[in-house]
Amino acid sequence: MNCAECRENLVACVEGLLAAGQNRECLAHLGTCAACRAEHATIARLQRQLVARGQAVAEMSIVEPVMRRVRAVQETEPESNSFMKLLLKNRWGFGLGAAASAAAIILIVLLTSSKAQATAVEVMEKGAKAVAKLTSIHLRGQLRTLPADNFSYINPDCDFVTIELWKQFEPELRWRVEKPGRVVAMDGESTVFFIKPPANIATKLPHPTPGGAFDTAWLDRIANLSNTITNELKNALAKGWKLSLSEETGADGRSKSVVTVMAKSGVPDNDYVKNAFMEAADTRRVYRFDAQSELLESVQIYLVRPSGEVQIFDLSQIDYNQSIDTNVWRLDLPADVGWAQLPENLPALPDNEKYASMTAEQAARAFFEACARKDWDEAGKFMSPVNASLKDYLGGLEIVSLGESFTSETYSGRFVPYEIKLPAQEFNVRVSNTNSAKRCVLTGFYDSKLQLQQDFKWSTEPEVLTNNDAYAKLSPAEAVKAYFAAQSKLDWVEMRKFTSEFDVEETKKQVEMAEKHGMDVHKQMPVVETGETTWSPEQSAWFVKCRMFQVKKWNLAVRKDNPAGRW
Amino acid sequence: MNLTDQEYVERCRDGHPEDFRLLVDRYQKPLFSFLAGRFRDRLQTEEAAQESFVRAFLSLKKLRKPESFYSWLLGIAGRVAKEQFRALERRQRDREAAETVLANTADHAEDYPLEEAITVLPESHRQVILLRYYEGLSCQETATRLGLPLGTVTKTLSRAYALLRQELQARERAEQTVNQTQ
Repeated sequence: MNCAECRENLVACVEGLLAAGQNRECLAHLGTCAACRAEHATIARLQRQLVARGQAVAEMSIVEPVMRRVRAVQETEPESNSFMKLLLKNRWGFGLGAAASAAAIILIVLLTSSKAQATAVEVMEKGAKAVAKLTSIHLRGQLRTLPADNFSYINPDCDFVTIELWKQFEPELRWRVEKPGRVVAMDGESTVFFIKPPANIATKLPHPTPGGAFDTAWLDRIANLSNTITNELKNALAKGWKLSLSEETGADGRSKSVVTVMAKSGVPDNDYVKNAFMEAADTRRVYRFDAQSELLESVQIYLVRPSGEVQIFDLSQIDYNQSIDTNVWRLDLPADVGWAQLPENLPALPDNEKYASMTAEQAARAFFEACARKDWDEAGKFMSPVNASLKDYLGGLEIVSLGESFTSETYSGRFVPYEIKLPAQEFNVRVSNTNSAKRCVLTGFYDSKLQLQQDFKWSTEPEVLTNNDAYAKLSPAEAVKAYFAAQSKLDWVEMRKFTSEFDVEETKKQVEMAEKHGMDVHKQMPVVETGETTWSPEQSAWFVKCRMFQVKKWNLAVRKDNPAGRW
Repeated sequence: MNLTDQEYVERCRDGHPEDFRLLVDRYQKPLFSFLAGRFRDRLQTEEAAQESFVRAFLSLKKLRKPESFYSWLLGIAGRVAKEQFRALERRQRDREAAETVLANTADHAEDYPLEEAITVLPESHRQVILLRYYEGLSCQETATRLGLPLGTVTKTLSRAYALLRQELQARERAEQTVNQTQ
């Protein structure tokens, strides 16, 4: 396909109307031609804007109210009357007619709503002025998320995790955002993002950023309070969000002004990422200002779902203008950190055409196949960096199936459904019978080098069972086998005979979360084979060698909006 | 019945006022979207949209170019929005709060020229855009509704995109020139 043919087909391509063969040709051309690719991106952007506009007004209809007013005007007024007269009489007519009470209610709602909004705006404006000349800000809050996942990832089923932001405005701009598994810091010269071990991956923007880089924008918006208010107002204007105001007395006995914003993401309900990220979530945001000092004191964000609201963020600590230690802006990275290449710097390969012409599904297959044969150079063409933990995790995998890719409103790439058999993972289980029940129980998981990975945190002695003797006869390896058999059947009572309450509860939580995400838990439960047992005199315990086989079924995110035009 | 804007306007003028319903149905969503860029409140937006249609109906006889009904309607809506802001300003005891509303509204309006850009499209192109995006029909459903082959709908969409982009770019350039002059 040449440029002219490609451009003629671009809209049909964006609309998903091309036949499979034609679509492949079009995508192949896009992979090789930067000008057509730019044209494609522009059309896709315009289409997204139009779709968003249409969706925002999908439910509205004013045909009937307009036609009622049109009829009323026609019936009561001669043509020569001015519009204002018509309108006045029309409204007066409503007042006298059967619709009087309904009209009055509408009017009251309108006035109350406008007044409440204007006052809410006023409170936020004053709040912005109160912090107009900040030298620094420090925010500390709790977010329902996974410790090492994206900064804006939210999941109401997760526990709260601490998230913190430091930002220095004067004398020089510096900032840092951190959660337990990842951190990003801007030291005035560059912006470094680090996913902590075991991932141990870092990436660097070789220039300062004003804030919000690497998925931290939603938190940065709160730090830049005056911008927050402007943005909230702009969004409220554009999308019809509601602002409201209430007064309350705080725990400190002082009066507080509470502004509530009902924010809609505009992301369709059936979108894959809906409510999984701050930007894709419908939320109720509560800003609490001290009425006297006018300073923002706290922010709560609630996820609004058809099933009800759940609090996902609680910002309870805001420190204004405090001196921040300069060490905060510096990250001490491990020597063996893997440096990830940024997509915007992705170079073209000598045989770039081959990769640029792939479909999302072909790219996913090529990546998994490279991992299957441990061809890390090839795998590295699709993912950066390929570090030791990734090699351990995916090296030698087996592809079960790959599905048809799909898109999301908020992600400019595609998601490819996949099912793979992960390579066997070797690990050890520590088993001890130095307890009053004299039974073999599991106390923790260790890696192949006997480094502790997970402690089962026994807090009480194992109980003496009614049929304790039968269990006391089991060897360490048999106990481990029985433990995994019970786990795979989700038989918590049986599992509890071999492990701590902590381990049972943790496993239950993981299973519940996986089920909520629609995973087939029974199918994805790991299969574990036991190997030799070794006695450790230092630890007074056995170590049972194990091999775990696991199936993983999920969606691979891929994108090709980079200079090389490949996935 | 799927007539052109001009035909509907003429029927309304010729004693079929109920046909105005078809024009409301055709343009309520882009009009609402256009006004939503100027108000922060859905009720206010709805009120302004109703008011705009009622005024348009009352002034139909003065419309010189019936084929330009949509762009004329947006002009009316712009004036209605201004009047409502003035009324809001009068209602506010605190003038400052009202100024904030107006200032933010002005900023915001500049970000939302799409509905205005749609006015430059030939009517056949505009109908395809409105049905496809504002009514949420698929291309095939749009083709069926308009009694056109699917290929014609995609070609019309292509041309409409090109025209919309030209118009948006022209507006952006004009805005830059104004900013530089200021």
